[in-house]
Amino acid sequence: MARVYNWQIGRETSYWYPGSRPKKQFAAVFDINKCIACQTCTLACKTTWTSGKGQEYMLWNNVESKPFGYYPLGWDVRLLDKLGAQRWEGGRYAGSTVFEAAPAGERVLGWGPEDQDYAYPNVGEDDCAGGVTKGAATRIPHDMMWFFYLARICNHCTYPACLASCPRGSIYKRPEDGIVLVDQTRCRGYRECVRACPYKKVFYNALTGTSEKCIACYPKFEKGLSQQCFLNCIGKIRVAGFLSTPKEAREDNPVDYMVHVRKIALPLFPQFGLEPNVYYIPPIHVPEPFLVQMFGPGAPAAVAAYRALPKDKDLSALLTLMGSTERVLSRFRRAGGSVEGYDESGTEVIRVPVTEPAHVRAAIDVAQGVVRSNIT
Amino acid sequence: MRDSMRRSFWAACAAAALAGCGRHAEVESPGEVRAAFRPVLPDSPADEAWAGLPVHDAALLMQDMVDPRLMEPSTGKVRVQAATDGTRIAFRLRWDDQDKDDLPGSARFADACAVQLPAAPGADSPAPQMGEEGRPVEITYWSAFWQASVDGRPDTINAIYPGARVDHYPFQAAPLKDRSEDQKAMALRYAPARNLGNPMSGPRTQPVQDLTVEGPGTLRPAPVTRSEGRGVHQNKSWAVLLKRPLPAKVGPGGGTVMAVAVWRGDRKEAGARKMRSGWVSLSLEARP
Ligand code: SF4
Ligand code: SF4
Repeated sequence: MARVYNWQIGRETSYWYPGSRPKKQFAAVFDINKCIACQTCTLACKTTWTSGKGQEYMLWNNVESKPFGYYPLGWDVRLLDKLGAQRWEGGRYAGSTVFEAAPAGERVLGWGPEDQDYAYPNVGEDDCAGGVTKGAATRIPHDMMWFFYLARICNHCTYPACLASCPRGSIYKRPEDGIVLVDQTRCRGYRECVRACPYKKVFYNALTGTSEKCIACYPKFEKGLSQQCFLNCIGKIRVAGFLSTPKEAREDNPVDYMVHVRKIALPLFPQFGLEPNVYYIPPIHVPEPFLVQMFGPGAPAAVAAYRALPKDKDLSALLTLMGSTERVLSRFRRAGGSVEGYDESGTEVIRVPVTEPAHVRAAIDVAQGVVRSNIT
Repeated sequence: MRDSMRRSFWAACAAAALAGCGRHAEVESPGEVRAAFRPVLPDSPADEAWAGLPVHDAALLMQDMVDPRLMEPSTGKVRVQAATDGTRIAFRLRWDDQDKDDLPGSARFADACAVQLPAAPGADSPAPQMGEEGRPVEITYWSAFWQASVDGRPDTINAIYPGARVDHYPFQAAPLKDRSEDQKAMALRYAPARNLGNPMSGPRTQPVQDLTVEGPGTLRPAPVTRSEGRGVHQNKSWAVLLKRPLPAKVGPGGGTVMAVAVWRGDRKEAGARKMRSGWVSLSLEARP
């Protein structure tokens, strides 16, 4: 195994291949606080890419309720259990990654789901953690019961375990944008990638005998357009872009700003060691130990920054840009009461007010002869 | 082996077959695989013609050269027989396997086997574990998934999960006409491996595939599959017939080397996770 640097865990780690970062890396930020689990994203993906025979149970995009929702069943807890203690020393991960913990004869520490593990994509939906006791029901907000929605796609990891595990080299990471693809002409359906991906985002097509995964809607992304699950997101929780390395981070790049500069968006299970490239703004109502396990030691600071948003002009401006345009934004700028988004060529493609103008209307609509009712 | 010994071996086999002890008292050939000369090759692994043909027990080892490896041994040996008609060679491989694993699924793997021969026979054989750079080996691979497909398993999700219900496939909606070319074209767009012509992505007309390889990780399909095959699971064991053209420069009276591999579906063996033999000598009976 080679040694590579993984900034998310603050140290070098082992990887099957020598490290070579793509020229540009597709990345995304999902604001968990805004997701309503409407599954529009899931359907947008399903109708675009996986409506074929043999793809019936495949969800390249899925949304699960945490802590009790999983697709496939137990995808995260089963690996967390295998991985053992996951200790952080400040920003440095002191435990083992899935590459470092690979048993003899394996390239990656993984496990293979059974058929039925894919049979309950909505298991645990809206199930709460904990019970409400000691009169907590009379107080709002109370901090005893919680759940949140976790929308998931392939993370187009910098060090993909799927790619490392394939003995045929059928999986590749595109140098131009870091998108990870299974070569459908080369795959022979061994399912090493299914076993190895900690996020369980490669799926076996039993009718074509090959493994398939999220392609980050590359035909759109190549044209500067966002992915289908981003465009159709009802909660406007998603934004796509190119992420720089921490040293090269640009303050005016939306994803760089949230991930590197303000550190409000965090990777999912950074301790697995893959440097995943979908970043989450953690839910602010969830107990800290759970968030730290899921998003790493940066979670408490990210929650604090989110809670301070009303006073944070730049960050709140940027968050209003999320989901406002299909174009991929490479730069943003706050100007007065508005925020502007620019594409790669420097052209302004979107401008939105940071605070939506309020309209107060009379209680009775005289022209129509009706009484208006408040629907919020 | 000297010619006189060869001749007396084949005479002994013929005597054994005539004595009717083919199935129950098979003639063992411990040192090598011997391909009998037969003007007509058997068409099935159950063909009576196999009775009386010498059997070589090929001992299997774990694939332990490249990761992922097999860490627990599974299938211990394969009973190998062979026959040639001077242009083609037929093998019958038999091994014990309680369960028949021929139904695909996300976590279901196929029982499978393969025969490997050097592309260019010679005194110095390439590495037995899938050849080496510049020194290719040829593989004929058989899969129980493909056999079931050839035997008539429909190409539908319900053939795999009988309880599955699908509301709608986009290519089955109006205005596309059932079984029209437009409908087929649209269905293909949702089956990327088929659309791109991946030769293993089915549905199959042959349960076998010809492959060439120059070292682990370099396996590629031959431009066309010229082999045929047929596998039958009976009495807790597989019997698989594989028939392929003789390699260049190998004919009756000559010889080369061969290796076999077996995958057990219930143990989720696939690809590099397999039991395989080393090179075994393969000698071809001369034309009578
Ligand atoms: S999330 Fe899984 S499938 Fe996607 S790149 Fe990472 S390891 Fe591969
Ligand atoms: S479309 Fe958006 S809001 Fe709806 S479930 Fe998906 S991520 Fe959440």
